Amino acid sequence: MGIADGLGEGFSVALDPTNILYVFIGVLIGTVIGVLPGLGPTATIALLLPLTYELEPVTSVILLAGIYYGSMYGGTITSVLLQLPGEAASVVTTFDGYQMAKQGRAGPALGIAAVGSFIGGTLAVVGLILLAPPLADLAVEFGAQEYVALTAFGILLVTYLGTKHPVKALCMAALGLLLATIGQDLTTGTGRFTFDQVELFDGLDFVAVAMGLFGVGEILYNLEKTEKAEQIKSRIKNIWPSRKDFKDSSGAIARGSVLGFFLGVLPGGGGVISSLASYGMEKRRAKDPSRFGKGAIEGVAGPETANNASSTSAFVPLLTLGIPPNVVLALIYGALLINGVQVGPQLIDTNPEIFWGVIASMFIGNLMLLALNIPLVGIFVQLLRVRGGILAAFALLITMAGVFSVNNDIFDMWVVLAFGVIGWLMKKTGFEPGPLVLAFVLGAILETNFRRAMITSDGQFDTFVTRPLSGTIFALMALVIVYSTVMGIRRQRRGRPPALYSDQLDAAAPHETAPGSEAEGTAGVGATGDRADGGGSPGATGGSTRAEP
Amino acid sequence: MSKHLYRLAPLVLLLFGIAAMLQARDLSLGEFSSPGPGLWPFLCAALLSLTAAVLLIVDDPADYEPWTRGTAGIALGLLSLGIFILLFQEIGFIIPAVLMLLIWLRLFAREPWRWAVPLAVIGAVVFHLVFVEALGVPFPDDIVLGG
Repeated sequence: MGIADGLGEGFSVALDPTNILYVFIGVLIGTVIGVLPGLGPTATIALLLPLTYELEPVTSVILLAGIYYGSMYGGTITSVLLQLPGEAASVVTTFDGYQMAKQGRAGPALGIAAVGSFIGGTLAVVGLILLAPPLADLAVEFGAQEYVALTAFGILLVTYLGTKHPVKALCMAALGLLLATIGQDLTTGTGRFTFDQVELFDGLDFVAVAMGLFGVGEILYNLEKTEKAEQIKSRIKNIWPSRKDFKDSSGAIARGSVLGFFLGVLPGGGGVISSLASYGMEKRRAKDPSRFGKGAIEGVAGPETANNASSTSAFVPLLTLGIPPNVVLALIYGALLINGVQVGPQLIDTNPEIFWGVIASMFIGNLMLLALNIPLVGIFVQLLRVRGGILAAFALLITMAGVFSVNNDIFDMWVVLAFGVIGWLMKKTGFEPGPLVLAFVLGAILETNFRRAMITSDGQFDTFVTRPLSGTIFALMALVIVYSTVMGIRRQRRGRPPALYSDQLDAAAPHETAPGSEAEGTAGVGATGDRADGGGSPGATGGSTRAEP
Repeated sequence: MSKHLYRLAPLVLLLFGIAAMLQARDLSLGEFSSPGPGLWPFLCAALLSLTAAVLLIVDDPADYEPWTRGTAGIALGLLSLGIFILLFQEIGFIIPAVLMLLIWLRLFAREPWRWAVPLAVIGAVVFHLVFVEALGVPFPDDIVLGG
């Protein structure tokens, strides 16, 4: 199917009244949760997963994708007005956006962010259209070895990029892989780690695990933080940026689109890293870098464009290879799996309506966001009056009722509660749930293909490196490990944390910030994180997977 | 002693990993050329144990947040969720939902009674309508609605 035919089919799907409604609901929810600190896109998508059972597969992806890129818009609003990032990818926007607001230029800051996001998102959709089909054609040639290489690469990159402690992230990834083996072995039918509990024969439910770790865990964690209702002081006027504003930021928007697109495709990339990278790039290119941090409009336009572009291009590896590059996409991948859709290179051929429908919906969604954001910013700001405690109470009730509705099974509610506790303890002890969930989702693919490769190669491990494609990927993996280890040691010598991008953060931040460095933002209120030394650690992080019934 | 308390997390993970390795071995590992059901879990558990062992030595104590008074509140919140699940199983959705919302709105959101009570009742009824009437989810029999 050519691009024109595909887009034709896509728009016929996306313009279906039901789907238009769900695009709208998606981007609206996305903007709202982007505004509300404490409930990020990951938590929201996790909480809404049960709903996708009721929807057609394409509709559910349209909805969830809308929430994802919608939240990128919404997070900007609080960053600019309150220096309070609604989700992690917007942390960078606080640097110059808040300064602009203090100078009475909140309107143009929000306006240029909305326009930049629209352009970045739209260009990334075009890139997705051009890049995805040839990549999928290539992927059809993949054998078991290539899948092992790709999934392992994905997990590795998520643990190395965008996390503060690669070893801790790797530890969580291993735990995720292990948890994925609970239940019947697909090949032999042997029950594994089931402890003779009937409920565990089918394994842990992905929805329950994700809702527990991200939804309940996040809510519990935020409960401990003291919070107060925020007051908006600056009035917003002249939201449409001036001609000079456009001229100043056009370069930043163009570069942000390209940068965001490519960083989004990369496993482990996503919003946080692309907005940081764009900020760093604009600051380096500027004639007068000292303007940055004091209200430079490029410092808002570039990162906002980049994080939106990346949230769109992140769909490339998912829709062509069946590999989710970050945690949010892992949740969307899970939503497709529970709807019985086989995600992989064959998706474009077997389910063209999903591929093209989602793409077309992104055009529409970005347009809606532009229309929603420019005139309605004032209304969204009012949402900040809703207190976190009320939100938490209702979100928990939705979680409990929602997870029950998936299998009509009380056991899943206990799983959510258990993983909620684990997720909360993980946050308290600096372990990140992202790599765990990603590995949990990819675990079955990785195991099946690993065993297949082992059987066909008669147990020879060199099968992974002698095939050109998988060999290349493993070589890349080795490169990433060597590079990050060397850089980590270097940084440690200079007394800096051993994580990628932490130096960019230090360079970019005019004040002490420690953005929530998850693979993809969950809470995103990391900028206010106050981590004290010492203190006890809980420690039931690993815990049993068994919830006592 | 309390200086090393933060090492508890990697220690628990390490013990968990070793226990899983032993379990996996009992499932039969097979050969690499014909993997048994235990081989893959064994490899994952080995990676878990290895990384946990590394963390036991190198982990940064600054990464761990101290317990606060809020922690006790969280335990209470968890207890309320557990009770919610038990009651939900026995007497249906509405009463447990109202109770849970009340507890959370009063304790954690610190809403005054005149807001907490109507919010809790309306919230529970709306969720009941959405899940049971609109989405057709078969909640356990409800004593309020006479099941």
